[in-house]
Amino acid sequence: MNKTARKYESAALADEGYWTSVSQAIRQEAVRLLEQGAVAGVVGYIAGRRTGTAMPVVAATPDQAKELIFSPACVNNLALYLTKAKKEVRAKGKLAIVAKGCDLRALAGLLGESQLKREDVYIIGIACAGVYGAHADRSQPLCDATIARKCRECTVREPTDTDLVAGTLPALPALEPLEAQELARLEAMTPQERWAFWKEHFSRCIRCLACRQICPFCFCEQCLCDRNRPQSVETTPRPAGNTAWHIVRAMHLAGRCGGCAECERVCPMDIPLNLLNRKMAKELKELYDYEAGLTPQEKGPLTEYKEDDDESFIK
Amino acid sequence: MHTDKVKHDFEPKIVALVCTWCTYAGADLAGTSRMQYPPNVRVVKFPCTGRIDPVFILRAFQKGADGVLVSGCHPGDCHYMAGNFHARRRFAAFRKLLEFVGVDLSRLQFSWVSAAEGGKWVEMVTELTERVRQLGPLTEFRELELAEQWSGATLTTPELKEAYQAI
Ligand code: SF4
Ligand code: SF4
Ligand code: FES
Repeated sequence: MNKTARKYESAALADEGYWTSVSQAIRQEAVRLLEQGAVAGVVGYIAGRRTGTAMPVVAATPDQAKELIFSPACVNNLALYLTKAKKEVRAKGKLAIVAKGCDLRALAGLLGESQLKREDVYIIGIACAGVYGAHADRSQPLCDATIARKCRECTVREPTDTDLVAGTLPALPALEPLEAQELARLEAMTPQERWAFWKEHFSRCIRCLACRQICPFCFCEQCLCDRNRPQSVETTPRPAGNTAWHIVRAMHLAGRCGGCAECERVCPMDIPLNLLNRKMAKELKELYDYEAGLTPQEKGPLTEYKEDDDESFIK
Repeated sequence: MHTDKVKHDFEPKIVALVCTWCTYAGADLAGTSRMQYPPNVRVVKFPCTGRIDPVFILRAFQKGADGVLVSGCHPGDCHYMAGNFHARRRFAAFRKLLEFVGVDLSRLQFSWVSAAEGGKWVEMVTELTERVRQLGPLTEFRELELAEQWSGATLTTPELKEAYQAI
């Protein structure tokens, strides 16, 4: 939390050569796939209009594929576009996707939840140095000061089980695990302090639902939180309904979330949503030894059970 | 038969979410056996603990419950085979989440009560009611319910105070 007291390094974490070589590898493969007709489109990134930005695209022709890039601005989790809910994208046919490690975890989750089949997707994995955080000064290179919080403690930089890996990972320095520190700080608080912490955050939520829209796992066609008659969660952006929304969101993602932290990145109110996701992931690891990984798992921790699961909390 | 009535300053509202096959039948047995237990409990019946979505627990707290009891068939006795096994994992995770958000877990009790355990039902209800009575009203969720442009702390008119009490 102590953002002001800390001094951030501004030395680039990876040199220009790394980014261009990854971009080139993606382009080459995408062009090849499209020319051969192996896929109908490549879900990847192209440069945005402003410098230091990028945006998702479905490249459908070799010419479009030549525009594909990878840069620290490629923040989006593209797995989002492969759920059944994205009918327009899926209707195109077999797709290739550019995926960072954290996107791959989401993809593995979607495969496990039968949202798509492995043979329906060609995966171009990225040996990933990291991406910009939500408020990074994008005139700077990717560095200690601009890198996303999730990337500071990433364990999936080198993808596995992909059809291709683009680029080679540069040597990266160890960065301070800010998010883990924040989590530990919260866990050490008294329940009252934690309540106050979350109350303050949840009260600011404006219920734009950007966090839901960006989440690869929020693919329900009708969200429980939108329903009335009977209404489960109040839909107006008042503290009570917000708290319910956030608890339900965290609960529905527990055991599924891959930790891409897109929800936190898109939140206009800077609510630290990934802390909730991480906390749940941590608890489920402790309780049921489950961890979201790069390979699809047929069952999540909350869709299976063991007869001798812990029930010390039940009388 | 009647035990002496004690007058308390605070009567907690307890919501019990129960499975119809075991705990509800157990509560029924307690009733037909004329066992006494605190009338603070409001029972909501579900087909199975597997149907008890964690959001119901949350909703109960938000709408004024001071304590929540969730109860169903013992493991292995679920009438839908595995409903309570799934529920058990869900509740375990949900407890952790509530704890992380700062909710006092001593207001939330889970139990297995079979159709034959009228006595255990009485025990569960009495225990939770008395524990919550000691803790006092659950104010966090009520304050949240009121928090908006104006805050619950500045209740000035009698009408507003009355509305607050009625929640
Ligand atoms: S979390 Fe890891 S895989 Fe994801 S963007 Fe950051 S460094 Fe890359
Ligand atoms: S993105 Fe942020 S403000 Fe919008 S609904 Fe999610 S938490 Fe609330
Ligand atoms: S029928 Fe009682 S818990 Fe499933």
